[in-house]
Amino acid sequence: MKNVLTIIKKEFARFFKDKRMIVTVLLPGLLIYLVYSVMGAVFSDSGKTDANYKYSAYVVNAPANEQFLNAFNSVSEIKEFASVDEAKKSVAEGKLDIVVVFPENFDAVLDGNSSAVPNVEVYYNSSAEKSVGGYMAVTAILEAFKDPAFSINSGGSFDLVEERDAAGKILSSIMPLLMFALLSSGCIAVAPESIAGEKERGTMATMLITPVKRWQIALGKIISLTCFALLSGISSFVGVILSLPKLLGGMVGSSAAAFYGVGDYFMIFGLIISVVLVIISAFSVMSALSKSVKEAGTMITPLMMVIILMGVGSMFLSGGSVGLYAIPLLGSGLAMSAIMSFTASPLGVALAIISNVAVTAALVALLSFMFKSERIMFNK
Amino acid sequence: MEEILKVENLTKSFKLSRRQQKSEQTDLTVKVAVDGLSFSAYRGEIFGLLGPNGAGKTTTLRMLATLIKPDGGDAFIDGKSIISDEQAVRGKIGFLTSELKLEDFFTPDYLFGFFSELYGVDRTVRDNRKRILFSKFGIDRFAHVKLANLSTGMKQKVSLVISIVHDPDFIIFDEPTNGLDVLTAKVVTDFLQELKSQGKTIILSTHIFSLVEKLCDRVGIIIDGKLVALDTLENLTREQSIEDAFFALYERTARGSI
Repeated sequence: MKNVLTIIKKEFARFFKDKRMIVTVLLPGLLIYLVYSVMGAVFSDSGKTDANYKYSAYVVNAPANEQFLNAFNSVSEIKEFASVDEAKKSVAEGKLDIVVVFPENFDAVLDGNSSAVPNVEVYYNSSAEKSVGGYMAVTAILEAFKDPAFSINSGGSFDLVEERDAAGKILSSIMPLLMFALLSSGCIAVAPESIAGEKERGTMATMLITPVKRWQIALGKIISLTCFALLSGISSFVGVILSLPKLLGGMVGSSAAAFYGVGDYFMIFGLIISVVLVIISAFSVMSALSKSVKEAGTMITPLMMVIILMGVGSMFLSGGSVGLYAIPLLGSGLAMSAIMSFTASPLGVALAIISNVAVTAALVALLSFMFKSERIMFNK
Repeated sequence: MEEILKVENLTKSFKLSRRQQKSEQTDLTVKVAVDGLSFSAYRGEIFGLLGPNGAGKTTTLRMLATLIKPDGGDAFIDGKSIISDEQAVRGKIGFLTSELKLEDFFTPDYLFGFFSELYGVDRTVRDNRKRILFSKFGIDRFAHVKLANLSTGMKQKVSLVISIVHDPDFIIFDEPTNGLDVLTAKVVTDFLQELKSQGKTIILSTHIFSLVEKLCDRVGIIIDGKLVALDTLENLTREQSIEDAFFALYERTARGSI
């Protein structure tokens, strides 16, 4: 037992003397706190809209009960349509928030003069935030008037969301996070070995004494590393797109990929390349700062967590101002989310790509400077 | 004699981290690795830099190879400054150190091609040179075998060949026989003599006295970053062996009489 304790003591001594290791071990807790706090704040606001906003509604067989009407009108604004089907179509297209179909003689139900248990139909679009908000507001009012009894949305499907929008909503919430996680894992597989590994083995110096300029070595490394990471990222992306129909069951249909046009894929590809460039450049800088592959891994891990946090952030900040797209990585997450939900603007995507390219250029310049620094390249 | 290397008052210091201060048991925050070094080397000679570990030999050679920059002074290789014209210097020199290693995943053939391209060697010249060098060192049989599967001696031979793919006139060897078995070490020393006979200038850093006696025309003895002796091997060994001469100088330096 004494020997076991001696070994444990030695391991503890080693752990607590390595500040980086302590940070790496404790950082997830801090990040989880941050992520969950942000998620909590966002969830508490979900479904809420501007207090003065009135949900646009098309109503069939509107009751005359004054108390009910006052409550209903306090949250909604009645719109006219030629037919129920036309109104439903507008909900599906996101132009109208809800369609409420009351049973005939609903006033009798509200007054307690009916023995039947009729059903109130509230049609909404789960891919549209305001429609969901309208559905929640109207059902809350109906629930308050549910004595005597009537049912709400009993039997059948009242979600008018189109298959495309449903797939888009799900993809828009998971793709940014997946993109950052997959691309980061692709980059972390190659960056430490390529620079820190060469420093550790001593092979970097062999290259540095050739007449090739240091910035050319830095750029050559980043381009090749980008290609490797990109391969990994694209393969993961294609895998996600192809497996999505299975993941979403019958909801999406045969292929989620079919919902997106050539322009969408072009923008996605541009985003992926620019994101990979930023991540691989950042990892390469960390790798160049490290003396060994092991140290590079330790230094890159917290950075990878921050990058993934950007993906989480973009899940909750979608629909924000265009200025957010200019924030490197976060903007790409937002742009990816917008593309997935068919709401992308070329300006937003361009801003995201430009900001990534700008950061990459700065990081390549930094890396080139680091390649010239003997303190960094030969410090042992 | 044509001067091909001129070193003028070369100086280099390193900041010591707390960890380094601890390991070197010193309170000094800066270590002077090379302190005002001046010497010349001439075409077709082997110049030996002799000194104990930590004397500043490797730092000097790294400065000459443009891997690190001097804090003061300058050196000129074939008229080109290691500070202001480092790209030109890199094209003119070959540099081999026992610390430099090649990547295990590659074959000698691939690495020869890779470094030839970095040095801008013409394809025809490259192929011819590869054939001659690979044959001379017995690498031809292993040209397409990954370095990971080669012996330490063979790896060192490949490193040697790679360091001179561009046929430089000025070659720096830092402890070239470190860790080699006697047979491989002999191949290396024989090759150094052959390079000398071809008119190449070689700067050889070592702490192996026999190697100095066997190869060097002139010797600089470096202790604590300072050049404490510089003369022909003949003059240095007129009255005693190079080993005795070195220790005599070392003791005088330690006493502070140099």
